[in-house]
Amino acid sequence: MIGKLLTSDFLKIKRKGLWFLTALGPIGVVALQMVNYGVRRDYLLEQSEDDWGYYLLNVHSFTPLAIILGIAILTSFIASIENETNAWKQLIALPVSKLTVYLSKFTVLAILLFLSSTILMLMTLAYGVYLDLGDSIPYMEIAKFAYYPYFAALPILALQLWIASVCHNQGIPITVGIFGVIFAYSSFVLPDWMIWKWPSLMNQWDEPVINVMLGISVGILLYIIGMIDFARRDVK
Amino acid sequence: MWSILSAEWFKLRKSKMVPIIFAGPIIGLFIGLTSNLESNTQDLDVNPWYISLFSMNLTYALLFLPLIAGVLASLICRYEHQSGGWKQLLALPVTRGKVFIAKYVLIMILMMAMQLLYLCSIFAVGMIKGYTDPLPMEIVWKSIIGGWVATLPLVALQLWMSIMFKSFAAPFAVNVIFTLPSILAINSKTIGPYYPWAQPFSMMYVGGNTDDVFFVPWDQLLTVVGGGFLLFFLGGYLYFQRKAV
Repeated sequence: MIGKLLTSDFLKIKRKGLWFLTALGPIGVVALQMVNYGVRRDYLLEQSEDDWGYYLLNVHSFTPLAIILGIAILTSFIASIENETNAWKQLIALPVSKLTVYLSKFTVLAILLFLSSTILMLMTLAYGVYLDLGDSIPYMEIAKFAYYPYFAALPILALQLWIASVCHNQGIPITVGIFGVIFAYSSFVLPDWMIWKWPSLMNQWDEPVINVMLGISVGILLYIIGMIDFARRDVK
Repeated sequence: MWSILSAEWFKLRKSKMVPIIFAGPIIGLFIGLTSNLESNTQDLDVNPWYISLFSMNLTYALLFLPLIAGVLASLICRYEHQSGGWKQLLALPVTRGKVFIAKYVLIMILMMAMQLLYLCSIFAVGMIKGYTDPLPMEIVWKSIIGGWVATLPLVALQLWMSIMFKSFAAPFAVNVIFTLPSILAINSKTIGPYYPWAQPFSMMYVGGNTDDVFFVPWDQLLTVVGGGFLLFFLGGYLYFQRKAV
């Protein structure tokens, strides 16, 4: 059943610009560094001995913001596909359980974001090689900076999908997303328990892996809460 | 014209607009109370209000103001996008131009209200932190009014996008695509002054030259903000004239 729901959800997001935005996010993040390094390359290369590390940090300064705003946009898009034509009712009237409907939406979003992270990894590598930052390419670090924020952002995905699917007025989830990006932008002053800090991979122990573990576990927890709440609500 | 404005106001009042207006001062309070620039600048002899204003305005004007302008613009078109509201509205004896202007004026009034609430949150931060120096009123007004003026073109573009797209997410995506690069643009002396989305930051920046009416020179204000406003406002106005409802 979940397979068929997934197919129908992927059909629904066709030609709505979601695939385009999924690709645009990571390309945009690297493109900003292309401008940055294009304008003041020599200055930036002087900043640090470890050119690859410094370049990755520069890319990573935009990754959390792009992920959080991307999540807000994609979840709101997915919800408005059903909201706009009052299709929730018709969807729920099918012989499918509400839990699987929610699971399928979440899976589609998780796949889109995973794809985004993969594109980010490839683009980071490609532009880094083009910049000629040194021969020892840190493949592991590049993969870390692409996929760790993804896993750390899972709680935000679960929260935003929950709000977007239960609110009829999409202004509310978008505003929550704006709060999220403000928090992420000032994440260096946030306490460690705030979920919006996690994609920045900062914590007091300086161990990014903790954010990944927290992200996955709290993400699952928030997902379950959201799913149960979605299933209990009346479909208007 | 007046009746269109009040009709728009009635529709908006029930659109959960109040919590969104209050997002501005809440963000202001949050940044003001969490920033700890004071500890680095204790030995400098500057008015502590400047230090607070500096960190508050950075995040508020750089990210929040441009993004929330888009949300308000989408919110004001929400009723019309639901179940053929455009048809009902335009079947009334109103012209499309007046509807567009009324919506635009109402968003700008709300933006002003949010700027004033933000001013209250600046006061509140100062009270909580116990500043004894007088609040530099002239600077604050420049920054509040300046930030508002800088959103004129952004609101026009967002209103255009919100009329064009049915969903909230699409105009918001356009907004994000233009707003995020301003984080880099403000660092550059060559791009920064000409990038419309970086203007709220330049206009609210309290460190600048204080002789002019605002913190940016007149020619930059007129060309970038004024030019952007004309371009986006006329674009949206003409698009709405031709839009099939």
